[in-house]
Amino acid sequence: MSLSSLFKRLLPSTDSGTSVPPMDGVFKPNNRLEEAESVVALPGVDGLAVAPSGLVCSAGSSLFLIATGATPLAPRQIAAFAGPISFVAANAAGQLAVGVEGGGIHLGDTGGGFNRLDLNDPMPNCTTAATFGAEGTLFVCIGSSELPASEWKRDLMTHGQSGAVVAVNVRERSTRTVAGGLAFPYGVAIGDDGRLVVSESWRHRIVGIDPRRAARPDVLLDDLPAYPARLARASDGGYWLAFFAPRRQLTEMVLREDDYRKEMIATIEPLDWIGPELSVGGGADQPLQMGSVRQMGVLKPWAPSRSYGLIAKCDAKMKPTATLHSRADGMRHGTTSVVEQGANLFVTSRGVGALLRADAKGFANSGAGSV
Amino acid sequence: MAISETFVRIRYRWFSDRLVGEILSKSWIDNAIPTIALVATLGVMIAIIPDYLSVGNLTDLSRQVAEFGLIAMALTIVILSGGIDLSVGSMFALCVLAALVSMNVLGLPLLAALTATLATGLLCGLLNGVLVGYLRLRAFITTLVTLVIYRALYDIVFPRLASAIVGSTPDSPTWDFIGYGVVYGVPVSFLIFLAVAIVLHIVLSRLRPGWRLRAVGGARRSAYNAGINVKLTVCLAYVSSGILTAIAAFLFSARLGSTGADTGIGLEISVLTAVVLGGVSLGGGRGSVGNAVIGSILVLILTNSLIRLAMPGSVSQLLLGCVLILAVLFDAKWVKNRAKILSRVYMSPTYLKLPDRSQGAREDYFALNNRLGGVDLIGLGEVEGPEDVILDQNDHLYTGTRLGTIVRFFAPDYKHSEVFARIGGHPLGLAFDQAGDLIACVGGMGVYKVSPEGAVSKVTDETNRSLFSVIDDSRLRLPDDLDIAPDGRIFFSEATIRYEMSEWAVDALEGRGNGRLICYDPRTKTTRTILRGLIFPNGVTICRDGQSLLFAETWACRINRYWFDGPRKGQREIFIDNLPGYPDNINRGSGGTYWIALLGMRTKTFDLAMRKPGFRRRVARRVAADEWLFPNINRGCVVHASASGEILDVLWDETGENHPSITSTCEHKGQLFLGGVSNNRIGRVKLPDGDPRWTTRQDYWGAPQ
Repeated sequence: MSLSSLFKRLLPSTDSGTSVPPMDGVFKPNNRLEEAESVVALPGVDGLAVAPSGLVCSAGSSLFLIATGATPLAPRQIAAFAGPISFVAANAAGQLAVGVEGGGIHLGDTGGGFNRLDLNDPMPNCTTAATFGAEGTLFVCIGSSELPASEWKRDLMTHGQSGAVVAVNVRERSTRTVAGGLAFPYGVAIGDDGRLVVSESWRHRIVGIDPRRAARPDVLLDDLPAYPARLARASDGGYWLAFFAPRRQLTEMVLREDDYRKEMIATIEPLDWIGPELSVGGGADQPLQMGSVRQMGVLKPWAPSRSYGLIAKCDAKMKPTATLHSRADGMRHGTTSVVEQGANLFVTSRGVGALLRADAKGFANSGAGSV
Repeated sequence: MAISETFVRIRYRWFSDRLVGEILSKSWIDNAIPTIALVATLGVMIAIIPDYLSVGNLTDLSRQVAEFGLIAMALTIVILSGGIDLSVGSMFALCVLAALVSMNVLGLPLLAALTATLATGLLCGLLNGVLVGYLRLRAFITTLVTLVIYRALYDIVFPRLASAIVGSTPDSPTWDFIGYGVVYGVPVSFLIFLAVAIVLHIVLSRLRPGWRLRAVGGARRSAYNAGINVKLTVCLAYVSSGILTAIAAFLFSARLGSTGADTGIGLEISVLTAVVLGGVSLGGGRGSVGNAVIGSILVLILTNSLIRLAMPGSVSQLLLGCVLILAVLFDAKWVKNRAKILSRVYMSPTYLKLPDRSQGAREDYFALNNRLGGVDLIGLGEVEGPEDVILDQNDHLYTGTRLGTIVRFFAPDYKHSEVFARIGGHPLGLAFDQAGDLIACVGGMGVYKVSPEGAVSKVTDETNRSLFSVIDDSRLRLPDDLDIAPDGRIFFSEATIRYEMSEWAVDALEGRGNGRLICYDPRTKTTRTILRGLIFPNGVTICRDGQSLLFAETWACRINRYWFDGPRKGQREIFIDNLPGYPDNINRGSGGTYWIALLGMRTKTFDLAMRKPGFRRRVARRVAADEWLFPNINRGCVVHASASGEILDVLWDETGENHPSITSTCEHKGQLFLGGVSNNRIGRVKLPDGDPRWTTRQDYWGAPQ
């Protein structure tokens, strides 16, 4: 914790604790996600990974393979699991790893044969993301040691910081904690120098973690205007970040208001809480903020919505260079995963339950390859 | 209920912080701090100087206050106009010279001497006024120059006449009476000062010239745009300054009978100190006679006491300078931050516990349906903010818009419309009286009447002021809905007395009973408040017994019945309690029923927040208004209730696209018309079991002849 953030915590009377970075600069809103092509409708679509034979995509408890050469794109179910799939990872050899809520980690391939990986030591259930490292290592993000992945909102509202990044040795079935005490790590990729790049969602930042040394994570990018989810490497050496929901002053306020927050958690269902959401709420009982009142039949695009769709492109030094948005008046919210494949960018939107495709060209950063 | 919650409830019930904001919002708060300073100074002086309150001392002080205070008022007028007059000291000296020359040297009669003195002041002021007002020179530099010029004139004339002035004394009892006379122990000059102060106060605060002066000083360009003659107003401010200074000089001459080379030197600084210390803002437009008087007394007490404490003159000048600096500093900070402080403390949420929704056992009634799905849209995109809708006997449809008009849509297809009347404020509740006039509650204005030809006239815009209300609650701020009793009395609700129309949503965060029910009686043409402390009273409808009415309390989610006549007169009972949403307008329906529009639905998070006033206040202070928590008014519905308050049916717009929030309904010939205050369309839906001949007019006033 830096000195200034310590100061902010000690002096909550200033509004610094509830301020949220504005969507400005590189994060200036646009409609690129709304204008993106919706290629496959898959209710509950979440995880996304690039395998040699196409895209591997999870929706609910089913795993789909989408051969990207075909038109139109058609998903083919390759496996189904006992519980909701919480992450999908693939490597260049075609090996797949799938996290199942309440069912551990499963290994297999695009042919559909999956086996549960029986670990020597039990591991917390809340797997949120994973990526294959060298020599049969799988780096897995554990969002929370106390709650399952579907209870992410409770973890946020209870100031959860029990997340971890674990290196799983697939051959020896052993595990090693690379970093602990993280506030909901929700995405992982491997950087050029072999370090892990992890999105720490509740702290709205991207951290770099060296898997070979036990060192404190160093912050690569922070003060983000939304909660980061999965991230992926870009072909120019940079990164793609998916954000699943926007930060709101009111949410930050409730996070500081212990009395209100505790009673809310104790007496109200999570769907109706004040806090981020994956999709545009339709329920009559969901909280509303003043700016989101429909005026003259119109919902303002800049209304303080609880859900949002946001993808950011960063260069190799994790400096954001471009963004794609789906704003408050749009529907393509809850963007949890993003991958670049060929000339295309694929994005999963849990808000509408669809796989979106945008043009990845034009986002490449010149000179980034030399870094 | 937890003990802590009981504590919160009692704390907000009995120790509301509402008054802090209301007091800060009063304009007399500008006087409060100078008054406190005056009382404190007086207290200190009484304590350290023996015999401070002796008659002699007070008489002497009051004579000085009379002269000094008149000059302070002169400077106040100029500062109010946005300028400054540094030449008051020299002007004073010239006027003293004029008075003494007239009386002592020329031996003119008293009236002639007074005229000469006033003429001198007028001429001096006029020179300043023409230079500053018409030739647009800078007030500061201009009056600095005239200070030097008038002083030079004095220095040229005075030595030649000094011996003549001292050499003779006029033989005029009136002159002596003005100078030394006492009426019931009060010096005459002080009485003259009092009379001038009272007249000036009335002119400045109650009459047109004073308002124009403040307008020019407060916002010159706006005043010009509003049609005020800015140049003349500024010029007249300097002329008045000259005349008031001349009156002071006349009193001074009568008291002392002579003058010296140093008369009026440094006077401008003392007067400026007094005026700023009293609370007149140097920026212009803010200040009063009261400020000038308080400041004058304060400065005179300070200087006199310093003399009596045997301080050297230079030290007392130094102290006075420091006081001036402090006063200017305080003035700048106060003017800059008053609005900021006010905006932070004005909103004062209170504890409001709504009944548990699951206790209502009405969940099945309120299950979502799509009965408003097949709605016809009227005036889509043409009409903005149709809060209430009503139909006349020719089936034409009337609605108010936020553009300040009442629009009429023509039967039978309602495709064509015209502006029926221009009112100027947003018309909310509408009702036809027996004669066919349309009566409308207009937000921010009052209750207005529109004749069938479209002529607009005011019905009422004020009610009786309540005794213990800090804010002025006699003006109608937000009349919301109305209905007309069989005898012609108009009963209407005023949603809140603390906020304007544009801020009605803030009242939701307060959750206090800020509203009231008011009755206008056309026979006596009087308006009287009949119920106070209502939580956003909204829809009003007269029951069919002609003796009672129903009114909705929006944030309390309930509908009350109130008897205004008959054996139960004055009684009030709950008609429907624990609604799952926020009731707006109530209207009669066919078959003895009532329609209730719910403008939004309760949410659990907002219900919880209503029990936590501290949380709401912190949210309001620290979070931008757009981000405030709010009831879910993106989803409303229509409730059909029986004459005894049982819910018969609930109609929803399932998608919430056409009618997210519904603020009023009107049943007419088997159809239901829907309005929404933040919508841009009117809905029309056919009622499957509606009576095709039933109209509101018939229900109220019987079949047309």
